Amino acid sequence: MTEYAIRITRLSYSYPDGTKALEDVDLDVRVGERVALVGPSGAGKSTLLLHLNGVLSGKGMIRVMGKPLGDTALREIRRHVGLVFQNPDDQLFCPTVFEDVAFGPLNLSISPQEIPHRVERALRDVGLDQSIRNRPSHHLSHGERKRVALASVLIMEPDILALDEPSSNLDPRNRRHLIELVASLPSTLVLATHDLGMVMALCPRTALMDRGKIWADGETRRILADARLMEEHGLEVP
Amino acid sequence: MRHNFIDRYANLDSPLHVLEARTKILGYLSLIAALLLMPGRNDVVLLVYAFVAAILVGASQVPLGYIAGRSLVILPFVLLAGIAAPWTNSFDGARFMALATRSFLSVTILLLMTSTTPFPELLRGLQKLGCPRILILNLGFLYRYLFVLTEEVLRMRQARDCRRAGRAPPRVELKLLGSMLGSLVLRSFERAERMYQAMLSRGYAGEFPVLAPRRFTWRDLTFLAGIALLIVSSFRYAGR
Repeated sequence: MTEYAIRITRLSYSYPDGTKALEDVDLDVRVGERVALVGPSGAGKSTLLLHLNGVLSGKGMIRVMGKPLGDTALREIRRHVGLVFQNPDDQLFCPTVFEDVAFGPLNLSISPQEIPHRVERALRDVGLDQSIRNRPSHHLSHGERKRVALASVLIMEPDILALDEPSSNLDPRNRRHLIELVASLPSTLVLATHDLGMVMALCPRTALMDRGKIWADGETRRILADARLMEEHGLEVP
Repeated sequence: MRHNFIDRYANLDSPLHVLEARTKILGYLSLIAALLLMPGRNDVVLLVYAFVAAILVGASQVPLGYIAGRSLVILPFVLLAGIAAPWTNSFDGARFMALATRSFLSVTILLLMTSTTPFPELLRGLQKLGCPRILILNLGFLYRYLFVLTEEVLRMRQARDCRRAGRAPPRVELKLLGSMLGSLVLRSFERAERMYQAMLSRGYAGEFPVLAPRRFTWRDLTFLAGIALLIVSSFRYAGR
């Protein structure tokens, strides 16, 4: 087993229209570590997450669970990295909740007999009632859809969980539930968010991103308490 | 936001709901075909079909008002045909009534099909019947994203209405509508990109996997046999 879940060295990425999204980003995450990516909108947090499983590929070197990211290992990498998108409508594209949650495992050629049990467990883990499994996801509330999106990734039992603004648009109860759920998972966590309360509850370590670069990386308590640093990058001390 | 779902009653538990999707697709479509191809003008046969449709609607437990209301959608088209009829050389009231009845019954049967089968199952049925996969995939996405797009349009309209007072001249209105449509296309395009990323993230490699829940049972066989019996005997009767 390798010591690092993720090793990113000098990663740069520009969008097709020329906008620079990432510039010389270095980030190492140890196995089992929980790291928050904070920063203003447009800082490049989501772009960085999309690199973790090779959906986007910029210049530089990325190693996931010790293996360099390249076309050959992509399917393997996607089994390791579970990415939950910010907007559940982008993530849930199947006609029913069941099919959406089962989509990942079916692609990973897990035996069909095992899938219903797995779906049941994943839905239970995110606190959803089993009765919603045959409903289309557009019949659900936003909070429920967010939880289905999380279930559709948890079911793949990823070693690394990458969450993009998981608490946005959640009411306080659902947010608290989400924090408890993520805290109970053994996975390595990379959490991109504005929700500094959630960061303090979950992540001992924080990396501050702005304009495609990482400006600070260290203990959460220290970084979030640095008023000058936070205000300089469009954030505020919570 | 509220939508009028096309399969609002598709999750009931009636004798028709438990049938396999293929059974319903084949059964209902052949009923409609028989209805439209029935030779001559035979009121007794039409009456029998109306009776059968009424029994099916009753058995489906779908509210009568829902089916009847939706069936009326066909009315303007039938009336249009009726208006055109006097210019054709063989017009009479009875013929028009027969045309109207056939159209009305066909739409009722189609509605029965979509409101007793959840749309995903209908798609799976079509796929098993040999409908091309690419078509099924697209219909599936259409069903899933129709509502997302509707909401997007409603939100855009609200945003527009919040920022304007009164009506602008038609030229300006049209221009506004044009740019709204344009941004809807762009937004959908970008959403499609994000969806594809989400699919890749969960291991998509060009194949859409499916699990099949319902099975073909003796009930399906009985249903299809009943419909076949009805069609054959009605053709023999009408052809006399």
